[in-house]
Amino acid sequence: MEQLQDFIRRGLSRRKFLAGAGCSGTAAAFTLAGCGGSRISTSTPPPTTPTTPAVTDADILNFALNLEYLEAEFYLRATTGSGLSTTDAGGANAGIVTGGSQVPFVTPAIQQYAVEIANDELAHVRFLRSALGTAAVPRPAIDLTNSFNAAAMAAGIGSTFNPFASEDAFIVGAFTFEDVGVTAYHGAAGLLTSTANLTAAAGIMATEAYHAAEIRTLLAQLGGNYLTYANQISALRAAAGGGNEVAVAGNAIVAADSNSIAFDRTTNQVLNIVYLTPPPGVVKSGGFFPDGLNGTITATTN
Amino acid sequence: MEMMEKELESAQTSGLGRRAALLLGGAAVASMALGRRASAQSSGVTDTDILNFALNLEYLEAQFYTLATTGKTIDQIGIGITSGSGAAGGTVTVKANPMVPFSTPLLQQFAQETATDEQNHVSFLRTTLSTNAVAMPNIDLMNSFNALAQAAGLGSSFDPFASETNFLLGAFIFEDVGVTAYHGAAGLIQNKNVLDKAAGILAVEAYHAGSIRLRIFQAGTAAESAATAIATTRATLDGTGNDDVGVGVSNGAATIVDADQNALAFSRSTTQVLRIVYGGGASGGAFFPNGLNGTIK
Repeated sequence: MEQLQDFIRRGLSRRKFLAGAGCSGTAAAFTLAGCGGSRISTSTPPPTTPTTPAVTDADILNFALNLEYLEAEFYLRATTGSGLSTTDAGGANAGIVTGGSQVPFVTPAIQQYAVEIANDELAHVRFLRSALGTAAVPRPAIDLTNSFNAAAMAAGIGSTFNPFASEDAFIVGAFTFEDVGVTAYHGAAGLLTSTANLTAAAGIMATEAYHAAEIRTLLAQLGGNYLTYANQISALRAAAGGGNEVAVAGNAIVAADSNSIAFDRTTNQVLNIVYLTPPPGVVKSGGFFPDGLNGTITATTN
Repeated sequence: MEMMEKELESAQTSGLGRRAALLLGGAAVASMALGRRASAQSSGVTDTDILNFALNLEYLEAQFYTLATTGKTIDQIGIGITSGSGAAGGTVTVKANPMVPFSTPLLQQFAQETATDEQNHVSFLRTTLSTNAVAMPNIDLMNSFNALAQAAGLGSSFDPFASETNFLLGAFIFEDVGVTAYHGAAGLIQNKNVLDKAAGILAVEAYHAGSIRLRIFQAGTAAESAATAIATTRATLDGTGNDDVGVGVSNGAATIVDADQNALAFSRSTTQVLRIVYGGGASGGAFFPNGLNGTIK
């Protein structure tokens, strides 16, 4: 974490990252059968260069699935006290979840927002698992306690932060994820090779943006300490994730660039954020994923 | 209160094929099985056509928000509305003094932010399209709302500039439609850079929609009912009857997100979008009394 704090102090300038050059080859196919289920082709096209194997649609959707597992666990535990079922988590090989507890909501509306988002993230887990079929990775180990404490220290919030302690803290916890989800799906969209996958990813991205906007609006309306905490988290994400952030304010509900186009993040940038470890260097685990993500896109390459 | 409930799948075993087919439309089904990107050649639609379609909608949104926040049209503040080859832009029909009497600073700030976003979208698309950009068509922000109010059972007239709540409802009409329009177009775009930008605009429209729908929720049951009636009308106009969710509470969950039972935002074809913005007209009407400009209209 000291490394991360140094990184912030160096004052990384904000840059927008476009989606990567895209994968070569179209042999990898994501087929949605007309009825009776969906399959992902797990075949990988032969590498066109000797160095890096092409990333398949299944790789990308599994990357997204890891993030949806994280969001689903956070919101389900916040609203019900329990996380994903064994089935939804991918069976006996699913990793352990540390932390999370039912938030003591006092405002019915905030509880209703939380329940909706929890429903949505569960739906995303199920959608991606269904689309990936046997290629779906199980939930990796997830940490919702030490992670937020570490983020709080790195962000200058304090030595601990418990997003489950109150409904206002919950809103800050939610903020940690939603904008990242938008940038992750936006960055991934250009890498997907099939129209069906692209359209599905765009649909999930849009839902994450609905979530992000409502959370940012609530924060702007809340003001005070919790708005400050959220923007400290935003600065932390900028440092780890290549900029691509806009602090929340009454006139900054949308996180976008100077053309009012939402940011992209590469998978590396997303990993640096969720592992709570900034570049450079190869990072394979940490933060919210103590054992790393599952699948093929699990380590940074910078 | 009638509400468009999110459908609940009784079982996941039917998989996603049917829902995906509904989302993507018939033309894309064949290409789904092959896993290839839907070809613009087969549909005859080019990236330029798609961006110009989007530009028409951005002109509409930008005019609405700019008039609401400044009382001026976008051309009056220096945003171009002529075609890329210099043909003049159309007119805007709107009441006199359309500035919204904002009394809530946070809402006024958000309205101004949104106006800037839509102006930026117009400018970005015009720059990207260059000499191929279409001029702004004639836009109606007066009779259109009255007609929509009647169709939605909200009375004989509706002035979105009259109050903060009315402004939210006026904005509500556009934003979800913008999301579904960009979502529907995503699968048709050929160039990866264009796709990246379109996806980025899609996300921003969804940010707008999310914040507007939250504020309508906060405004209370009357506002929620009106928004839900509008959502129902949109779904009726586009012929599906089931691709739009109102604002309210369902089974302990708010309905801030306008999405299907998989929590994916809905998708509309250009035809479906046109049915809504034309108010059911075949080649024009409602917000675009003389239709859009360009190929897709």
